[in-house]
Amino acid sequence: MDKVKNSGDNAGKVMLKTLPHSKDLKWPMLWWIAMEKIYRILPWKKTAWTCAAFPIEIMWAYDIFPDHPENMATVAAARKQSQRLIEHAEGMGFSRDLCSYCKTNIGAYDTKIKKTLGGISKPDIVVCTNAICDTHWKWFQIMADKMNVPFFMFDIPKWVSGTDEKTLDGNIDYVVDQFYDLMAFVEKHTGKKMNEKRMNKVLDRSMELTNLWREIFEHRKSVPSPYSGAETSASFFPLVVLPGVKTGINFLKKILTDIKSITAKGEGTMPKGSEKYRVMWEGIPFWYRMKFMYDLAQEGAVIAFEPYTFSFAPPKKKCLTMEETLRDVAKLMMGTPYAYNLERRIENFEKWIDEYKIDGVILHENMSCRPSSAGMVDLAEAIMKDKGIPVLILQCDMNDPRAYSEGQIKTRIEGFVELMEANKK
Amino acid sequence: MKKLAYYDTSHEMPLEIIMSAGFVPYKIMGDVHKPNDPADKYLSNFFCPAAKSWLTEALSDSKQWAGIIFAQGCNNTNRHYDIWKLHVETSFLHWFGCPLLDGAAAKKYYRVELQRLISHLENRFDIKITSEKIKEAIGKSNEIKKKLKHLSVLRSQKDIPNRDYLAALIKCLTCPVDEISAWLDSEITVWNSRPAFPSDKKRFLLTGSDVTYVEWMDTLDECGIRVVRDDLSIGERFFATSIPDSSDPLDSLCEYYMGIPTPATRPTIQKRLDYLYKALGETGVDGVLSQNLKFCEPYAYDSVPVNNALKSKGYKVIHLERDFSPVADQQLSTRLMAFVEMMDGGNNG
Repeated sequence: MDKVKNSGDNAGKVMLKTLPHSKDLKWPMLWWIAMEKIYRILPWKKTAWTCAAFPIEIMWAYDIFPDHPENMATVAAARKQSQRLIEHAEGMGFSRDLCSYCKTNIGAYDTKIKKTLGGISKPDIVVCTNAICDTHWKWFQIMADKMNVPFFMFDIPKWVSGTDEKTLDGNIDYVVDQFYDLMAFVEKHTGKKMNEKRMNKVLDRSMELTNLWREIFEHRKSVPSPYSGAETSASFFPLVVLPGVKTGINFLKKILTDIKSITAKGEGTMPKGSEKYRVMWEGIPFWYRMKFMYDLAQEGAVIAFEPYTFSFAPPKKKCLTMEETLRDVAKLMMGTPYAYNLERRIENFEKWIDEYKIDGVILHENMSCRPSSAGMVDLAEAIMKDKGIPVLILQCDMNDPRAYSEGQIKTRIEGFVELMEANKK
Repeated sequence: MKKLAYYDTSHEMPLEIIMSAGFVPYKIMGDVHKPNDPADKYLSNFFCPAAKSWLTEALSDSKQWAGIIFAQGCNNTNRHYDIWKLHVETSFLHWFGCPLLDGAAAKKYYRVELQRLISHLENRFDIKITSEKIKEAIGKSNEIKKKLKHLSVLRSQKDIPNRDYLAALIKCLTCPVDEISAWLDSEITVWNSRPAFPSDKKRFLLTGSDVTYVEWMDTLDECGIRVVRDDLSIGERFFATSIPDSSDPLDSLCEYYMGIPTPATRPTIQKRLDYLYKALGETGVDGVLSQNLKFCEPYAYDSVPVNNALKSKGYKVIHLERDFSPVADQQLSTRLMAFVEMMDGGNNG
């Protein structure tokens, strides 16, 4: 443990320890920033805008740099830029009720802010999917039109509660057909050709990255928690933009080694004896106020598991043929945990609650993400009834600080902690 | 004949399949006059109030319906299906996956989904949905569309209050088709006998979220606005095109439903604009009224590029956000009246 983080004034406060290699996250980040520059400068290199749940591996396989507006929106929030960018987009006519990632991106592009503050450059192509939400394609299409850049949308059928295997197969067929449309689109607009050998290499690396993350999550089941949501919210970066690239693998290997080392010693991210409550956090964090996670620590609560970052590492399998690979990827796109239907959500949450020894669940009812917020009331009721632990629904926003009410959230967290305490007796 | 209800944020539901199964297609539109109490329990305050009203209606009326079909549409409400599955009592609940795209892959998938719907209905109700029955239903649908088109044209020629047009559409989406057809004939006669278009009204094209209650249309009338064209789903999108006559009726349905004027829930914005330009080219209007229901994301997103495009062509466009309420919003009325007054001296289009 070489570093501690805290929430401002340190006196008497619980310090969260970070892993020795946490700071090494800067290398994949710097690599990514450098690559973006190189791909933009060299005329034969191409860049794309992509979104969450899009199979980014395909872009790397084509040797196309996958820029990521959502990722850059989180950077803008962390650098305290998102509010002004959101307000800039609202000044252009976009409603206050629309996605704050989208508006941050629109504001960032329109005001041309620096990359280090969340800025983003014009790509050669825009590719996206509605696997998580239709906002992705609405937003990307608006921006593609604005930038006059070719646009491709991957239409992912909905895996609603009760979907049977036969229906699922039909849905997969539709997605697989679109892979070929995507390839035709990429080749037409970039001149790049699919190289199956390169694709396999990228997929192998992607699988390795995913497996590392899943192994890290296995160790997160330990008590005390060796690696909290405060850290994973940053360190999952390679899974967002670097699946298929070596640099992310190296980083996660070091993290895993650190985790193994501290769990072997029975240590955790919180000082010995301080971890009182293990919390599951559902939803996107408050990127503009990551201090929230450290505030929780003051109450003795650690985020032991969060489906959101876990979502980026679905179990991938080694397939023998391209067709088999595409079917597997199609199923993964449809079944991303962030977009689970209510029945699967309840089933998996209850499984995770047991596995991670969870004392309470916080559901971020995100005003910027209506699809993920739908069904939260039923999810909360099911968890409370079946698992007998408290659930707190916090209505807020992932990127818009205006939605964060300091006093109100503090009061609600205190009440939630009291419920967890009472539940332990 | 029993009603089979459907949840549809646009015009995605292939009504002809419901008709050929021997049911009256009934579009769930909620009731703006009733509180959304039961639905509020399951959906927070930032969800579409219209969708909450639909859930409220289903929670109270579902037993009167043979079943419910959910047509994929607005992504913000697609996941409500899971909530309905948990809380709405019905012996038949079906998810109908509508592709957002319209290429070859999407057409193939749409056909698979049509066949899955047919099989589910056949198995559940022990019926046979034959090609002949679907063709017959297509014929009836086209008849309704033709008559609605006829009525629609009269909007810019005669004194047709806004509410009459919306009421006609709502009737067509909720009542038995045979009953509707005869009623539309009489309505065409009545509308034809109405006085000429009133000189104190402005002709407008209405675009954006669907309007499901007549009181809002009354507000427009009170502000001097007559809607003579629109691109709403409870509006022109429902009857703008006819279902083609193919030897295989499923091909006809594929072609029709994937080719109707594009709503904001489907790509692309340009396709939406194409229909708006066409409508504006066919019918001279004084202005364009763009609106979205509070929390209606698809139309709120579209409103910026769509309205900018229309303005750049010289159209006078006003955009507003409205609540889901039958009570007249005085602030909104004031804005509309000011806009109408302002346009009196100006050029348009």
